[in-house]
Amino acid sequence: MKKALTLILALTLALSLCACGGGDPKPTGSGNEPSAASSELNIFMWGDYISETLISDFEKANNCTVNLSYMSDNADSITKLTAGAGDSYDLIMTCDAYMESLIKGGYLEQLDHEQIPNADANINEAYWFGDNRDYCVPYLMNYIYIVYDTERCPIDITCYNDLIRPEMAGQIGSIDGARNLFPMALIALGYDPNSTNESEIKEAYEWLTKFNENVVAYGATQENIVNGTISCMLTYDGNASWAMNELGENNTLTIAPFTSDPVQLGFDLFVVPKGAKHTDLAHKFLNYICEPEVMAANLVDFPYSCPNDAAVAAASDAYRNDPAFDFDYKTNIFFQKDVGDALAIYDQYYQMLKVGE
Amino acid sequence: MTKNKRLRRRKAARILSNLYAVLVYSVFYIPVAVMIVFSFNDAKRNYYWQGFTTEWYGKLFSFANTDLWDALLYSLIIAVLATLISVTIGVLGGIGLKKFEFRTKRFINMMIYVPIIVPEIVLAVAMLIIFMTVGIRLGMGTILIGHCTFCIPYAVVTIKGRITGDSETLQEASMDLGANRFQTFWRVTVPSIMPGILSSAFLAFTLSIDDVVMSNMLAGPSQSTLPVLILSLNRTGITPDVNALTTVMVALMVAGMLALNGVQRYLKKRENRLAAEAESKRSSAHAA
Amino acid sequence: MLKREGTRRGKKRHSRLPLLAQAGPVSLWMILFVTIPMLFIIYISFMTRGTFGGVEYVFSTDSYQTLLDVVYFKVIAKSFQVAVVTTVLCLLVGYPFAYYIARKPPEVASRLIMLIMIPFWTNSLMRLNAWMLLFQANGPVNHALMALGLTAEPIKFIYTDWLVMLGLITNMLPFAVLPMYSSIEKLQKSMLEASADLGAKPSVTFLRVTLPLTFPGIFSAIILTFIPALGIYTVTDMLGGGKVLYIGNIIKNQFGAIRNWPLGAALSVLLLAITALLIFIYMRFAKLEDMEVV
Repeated sequence: MKKALTLILALTLALSLCACGGGDPKPTGSGNEPSAASSELNIFMWGDYISETLISDFEKANNCTVNLSYMSDNADSITKLTAGAGDSYDLIMTCDAYMESLIKGGYLEQLDHEQIPNADANINEAYWFGDNRDYCVPYLMNYIYIVYDTERCPIDITCYNDLIRPEMAGQIGSIDGARNLFPMALIALGYDPNSTNESEIKEAYEWLTKFNENVVAYGATQENIVNGTISCMLTYDGNASWAMNELGENNTLTIAPFTSDPVQLGFDLFVVPKGAKHTDLAHKFLNYICEPEVMAANLVDFPYSCPNDAAVAAASDAYRNDPAFDFDYKTNIFFQKDVGDALAIYDQYYQMLKVGE
Repeated sequence: MTKNKRLRRRKAARILSNLYAVLVYSVFYIPVAVMIVFSFNDAKRNYYWQGFTTEWYGKLFSFANTDLWDALLYSLIIAVLATLISVTIGVLGGIGLKKFEFRTKRFINMMIYVPIIVPEIVLAVAMLIIFMTVGIRLGMGTILIGHCTFCIPYAVVTIKGRITGDSETLQEASMDLGANRFQTFWRVTVPSIMPGILSSAFLAFTLSIDDVVMSNMLAGPSQSTLPVLILSLNRTGITPDVNALTTVMVALMVAGMLALNGVQRYLKKRENRLAAEAESKRSSAHAA
Repeated sequence: MLKREGTRRGKKRHSRLPLLAQAGPVSLWMILFVTIPMLFIIYISFMTRGTFGGVEYVFSTDSYQTLLDVVYFKVIAKSFQVAVVTTVLCLLVGYPFAYYIARKPPEVASRLIMLIMIPFWTNSLMRLNAWMLLFQANGPVNHALMALGLTAEPIKFIYTDWLVMLGLITNMLPFAVLPMYSSIEKLQKSMLEASADLGAKPSVTFLRVTLPLTFPGIFSAIILTFIPALGIYTVTDMLGGGKVLYIGNIIKNQFGAIRNWPLGAALSVLLLAITALLIFIYMRFAKLEDMEVV
């Protein structure tokens, strides 16, 4: 017994010494020069968000290895980029709200549009605005809208202000985050959803305290509406799609038919971080995912809204007839813009909202 | 009469305490049981029960998507290494910090608590920036450093809770009896704090295998750990194949535990037999 | 007393090798990977938030001025409330449990300990999710209750305080049980028997002998549950519905979506200071003989 113990402990020591020795620089990226054709592509993105076939086809076509590592939070990309770890990757997924800071902060590599003709040809211009064009390629997108259960919800929802009516107490589930909640309140009050005016943000905060009183829980909206915990939700179209399909024939969920209030449209997009080692493959990959057939096939596994018009046209009927994307005011949208230093003000009021008395 | 009463009372106490233990264990195992049941759920995402299927195990063992397996393997390797490193450093440190006086001791003792107090993300971001500045590439090494940094304090605290005066007395006795320092360490100190070592190893492994923040921030581009992957999947809903993987993992661990039991029992038996033989030899020698 | 002995011994033996071998690695590690990053955090807490994220290296006490806002006081108070409840529950549930295990023969005990740990090697997010699956409106518990006729309407279990507490206990308990176990296990059976032989009632033996002698373990358990519980937010977010922010959420947000690293750093420094003060007061108050614990 004692011998075994000694052996184990000795092994422990030996192993840990080895591990310590190997503990520093691990050559995870190959030392390929950008000029030579790269054999490796490192992508940092959401898990289970791109088709495996797409990846393996790309690997075969370009004789390379694609390494996927996964983010656990929307902000992971900016935390890594601002900490200076961007150059470990070749492509990073981020969202449109962070783009301005990332561009101005100099964290991104400019794209060479000659290498991504598919993107230029197929991505809808309306979704590819401002300076973004030079730095990112939109991948998939999501509407943030209101969905409610026509049978269980006490009232019919036609605008954001309906959400703070007292009848809605204990009915609402919502996604979380300062920059998802405040724009809704600002629109309800008739302000710019990306306002940087403190008094407007303060009013929005007051609006949100009423909203907050009606909310049952933040997060897990789609499961809560299916299991009956809530009857109305502020959520992403992907979640709504899942919930509607889940209920199938018994579906009583409907997208709130807004008449004037715009809804938020957000993007998951790919950027090339400054100092990326394999920019050639990164461009090839961006061009590849913008091919209509490739993206259409990807939409089978991941039936989310897509900024690639040609791909949508080539997609299956099931995708195009999804009830979650069937609403009239698709063009009455707003984008989440980078609000710069006002972010701290938003955060302050968001904290007050969530800390309460 | 009174003896009977006392026996009965003792029996009742034993039953009660067993019941209590079963209750606590069941609270621990209920979520695991639910997870296992939902690995047979015939649904795309695990939000509620929809019917029985073994399809997810089929998918898992077809190895078509090796993401989950890779992540599990990576997590296990990291957890084992982090446990070995942090227990070794933590045990030595726990003893050293208890036994010796040195100038920076108070300071080190304070530092031990910092990783437990400060939210992980803070140290993770600070380390990330420092590693980037110094030019250390992100990868398994950096994740290991991160994990050990919060595992070592747990090990040290546990070990220190285990050592008190009597283990020092034992050590002195051992030295007085002529054992050298190394022998004393292996033969006296280590066995006397063995439960503490086991506890800290369990804590370290548990912390490491379930860590998200350090594993995420300090990860290199080639691989993610399982908890990071699961959290990433949680954005759209966890699929039952993750439950299937967890079930396989639990099954393997239980099997491992049973095997360890077997080995332990065998070693114990052998030790007893050897001891008995030695004893009989000695007594026969005496007789002669 | 221990301290003096230590000094004496240190002087008697001239070799510094054992000291270096034992206290060296941990000291080196703590300096390299804790002290230096923490100094860096303190440094950036006095810097300015970069407009485009990160830190602008311009001196400023803005972050600390922000902390004067009453909202942070409330957040910290709420976080303490959760930590205290978690710790008390874990000690109350954990001590008898640790005692139960520690009184078993060593082989059985080590198996029982292993049995606690196995569930914790599965993913914590999925374990929390399992509680939700079990208790949701159309979950098995409600189905069973309705089938038994105990309730007509599904009972609302999720997003209630007691489910949060259940989640907190099940997530934190091993961190209380393990140190207490290793401390109780060490307790010599003979000592308890001696106490009983001398005529002490079991309750007296427990209060006068067992409890004081296992205090180091209890102390470790408090440290290992209270302090991590201060920064906890996943349990409250998932099982509580995310309607309340805790200090952990706020710090995470500063380093994430809000990109205010100096404020996040200042909050961490504040948390560190408060906890250090608490430990100090606690040590004084408990008049711990073994002051070396801190």
